[in-house]
Amino acid sequence: MSMTKSSVQPIQKPWTSGRVIRLVLAIIVIALLLWRLYTVLVVQADYGPETWVRFSISGLIIGGMYALIAIGYTLVYGILFMINFAHGEVMMIGAFGGYFIFELLSSIVLSNGQTFNDANPALSIILAFAAGGTASAVAGYFLERIAYRPLRKAPRLILLITAIGASTFLQNAAMLLFGPQRRDYTNPEALTRGSGWTVVINNSNVTLTYTGVMSFVLSIILMAALYYIVQRTKLGRAMRAVSQDKNSAALMGIDVDDVISKTFIISGLLAGAAGVMWGIHNGLVNHYTGFLPGIKAFTAAVLGGIGNIPGAMVGGMVLGIVESVGPAALGLDFQLKDVIAFTILILMLLFRPSGLLGEALTEEKL
Amino acid sequence: MTRNISNALHSAIIFIVVTIFLFLIGFTTTGSELIIKALSPSIAKTSEGLEIGFTIFISLIGFIIGLVASKREEPDTLGRNLVAGTIAGLISGVVIGLFGFLMGTLIENGIDLRGYLQSVSPDSMRKIVFDQPPNIGALRLGGIILLSSIFGSFINSTVIRAEWRKSLSTSVSESSTADSVRKTASKLGANQGFRMAMMAVLAAILIILPQQWGSYWNFVMGTVGIYILLGIGVNLIIGLAGQLILGYVAFFAIGAYTFALLTAPAPHNLQWNFWIAVGLAMISATIGSLFIGLPILNLRGDYLAIVTLGFGEIIRILVKSDLLTKFTGGPRGVRDIPGPTIFGQSFSSDVDYMYLIIAAVVVTAFVANRLQNSATGRAWVAIREDETVSKTTGVNSFAYKLLAFALSAAIAGLAGALFASRNQFTGPDDHVLMVSINVLCLLIVGGMGSLPGILLGAFTLKGLPELLRELENYRLLIFGALLVVMMLIRPEGLWPATRPKLEEKGKSIEAQKGEPT
Repeated sequence: MSMTKSSVQPIQKPWTSGRVIRLVLAIIVIALLLWRLYTVLVVQADYGPETWVRFSISGLIIGGMYALIAIGYTLVYGILFMINFAHGEVMMIGAFGGYFIFELLSSIVLSNGQTFNDANPALSIILAFAAGGTASAVAGYFLERIAYRPLRKAPRLILLITAIGASTFLQNAAMLLFGPQRRDYTNPEALTRGSGWTVVINNSNVTLTYTGVMSFVLSIILMAALYYIVQRTKLGRAMRAVSQDKNSAALMGIDVDDVISKTFIISGLLAGAAGVMWGIHNGLVNHYTGFLPGIKAFTAAVLGGIGNIPGAMVGGMVLGIVESVGPAALGLDFQLKDVIAFTILILMLLFRPSGLLGEALTEEKL
Repeated sequence: MTRNISNALHSAIIFIVVTIFLFLIGFTTTGSELIIKALSPSIAKTSEGLEIGFTIFISLIGFIIGLVASKREEPDTLGRNLVAGTIAGLISGVVIGLFGFLMGTLIENGIDLRGYLQSVSPDSMRKIVFDQPPNIGALRLGGIILLSSIFGSFINSTVIRAEWRKSLSTSVSESSTADSVRKTASKLGANQGFRMAMMAVLAAILIILPQQWGSYWNFVMGTVGIYILLGIGVNLIIGLAGQLILGYVAFFAIGAYTFALLTAPAPHNLQWNFWIAVGLAMISATIGSLFIGLPILNLRGDYLAIVTLGFGEIIRILVKSDLLTKFTGGPRGVRDIPGPTIFGQSFSSDVDYMYLIIAAVVVTAFVANRLQNSATGRAWVAIREDETVSKTTGVNSFAYKLLAFALSAAIAGLAGALFASRNQFTGPDDHVLMVSINVLCLLIVGGMGSLPGILLGAFTLKGLPELLRELENYRLLIFGALLVVMMLIRPEGLWPATRPKLEEKGKSIEAQKGEPT
């Protein structure tokens, strides 16, 4: 999670055969990509600019959510050096929290015949985000308390297996509680999905949906707030200290366990907000909602450089855009957008494991 | 005294949450049914039977609350234990009673929660207050919990902790009997004749059983066998070489699809020979593992897990996608996969498949066991224990990891081919991430790196759920909880691997050196 640039000069690496092979591979991959892009964009040119704008907008919206979840991975990784595999499930719990608040509010009918939900859109949205964030924060807190804290000194393989177990448990608990069917978010009327401002580009309408704009703006605000907390507050300083060296931090009077708990709470809050956004924007949630975004967000965190907060933000946005623009730009089927995300993960780890903005990780952290 | 109360409070809160959770996922009903079925199958279906089962279920919970609450009372007297049990029982009785009251009132007013909480049926809401008016039923519910909790703390004090106090004074002799048992066992194990006799008995059982126990058990045990195969394979890379692979299902899928496409009539109509197809399935899984392993195996731990997970998902999505539908059959999968033949004779009844799977398990187990005890196996263990140190002692860690990865992929390919052939079908839904997690789970539960552990884990995780069909819905939930609990309590597994003898010797020498004599 280090924010400052390292003053140490990087060591000149020798040209081993592995490095040469990797370089050659990289050149081949990039050449293939460019060739494919050229054929689809220039030779075929099926899509006009309005389509690309549409794709980019939806990419930015989804990227904001990925970024919020990715920050959770990165914060926890920075402190415990573990992949919190259950983080996607924490997001799913937040999505359910928001869902139940909306259900509750839309069942209250006011005197003028409107539901509470439609009459006070702003208030009900705030309540939904509060509920979703709280649910996820509580889930994250107890996840750490019950599953991870007793294993502080254990090997990392054991921690990861625990996290996988916790993820499976939470997913199936949600399925048993709420059932396997997808549930439809009842948005306030003002935020009906699909409605929004219309912009005309190249003689065709491009819709800026209200839900999308709200999600994007809110995710930017939350990221800024998080950055402020990490950089400017006492808690943030403690978090950075713990991520650098737990023992020294403890010697300086920082309660390490407490800081770790708060880290999980903060990452839970962000994931919960992302979950509610997911519900409001995409509509359907079920117990499986958290799984794919969780893995994608991890990809985003790796893309930006794991352990690096601005990296997670950038990584999330980049992944969102690549995922929605990529299939069209490469002339592939849209079913394959997950394949693109995972391929990016593999290529990134192959060629630049430290990520776009990441520091070079030491052996211990990697 | 305050610590006393806070202890009791702590366990009470935990059990309140657990009990309400169990009710909300519908486990109280399932649990009661199971209990009454075990006690007296004749009244299991009747409503009184269910009520008795539920009463026993609730008293069991109360009993455990009492046990746990009084577990850590410091001056270990009967009075202190009883006080703790009473406090915990009172608190949890009141809260759970209130919860029961709430449920009873809701159902009396005709409110059905199933729209939101699917496992809470109106019937189970009535059952929690014993089909009585909510106030009386809630009192009864709370009362049962309070009484059984007091009873639990009483038992804890008079039986369990008394035993424990006694055992403190006699622990020396007890451990020596355990030692002598282990020594006899190891002596017998070392005896060549005894081992041969055991092998003969085992072989006889394995030959006779499949003919006797009918097609249903052959099917179940065949699945167990395939999971044993997967377990043996994944043990090489996770258990021995210590590299966490999560996308193991990818190689299972590659094996199954290679085999299916080569033999099935549907998309390509190749209809190759069974044995050649199995061999090619193994080879293609190995090639797949080299393709993904060469670039990523120098990553460590967590990255490796996620990358392989991503690879598994890529394979599944690709197989399912429209892009490859012509080639792989898409979401509908490949059908009518033929069975094996031997010298022109069909060899595909359920008994034959069982033999085939047993043979495959025995051969792979033998190979894996020999590998484990060879220089290769020691190199893997060295990498698992500390990769940097193993590198400095001259182990080519990358090559050994790649070898382990390729071998485990080959075994997964074999398992996939057998699975597809036995089911006569393979589709994308056979190759979901859950397969990898199941295999990981059986490895963890059994004990990493140990062959008997894998057998034990496979029987527990794949065989037991068949016996307890009622628990089918809760299987994955229990898996998840099991993974966490095993890591917290017993990370080495139920049947841990034994350390090689030389290592033990070295340790004892070191221990002697360390101790001042």
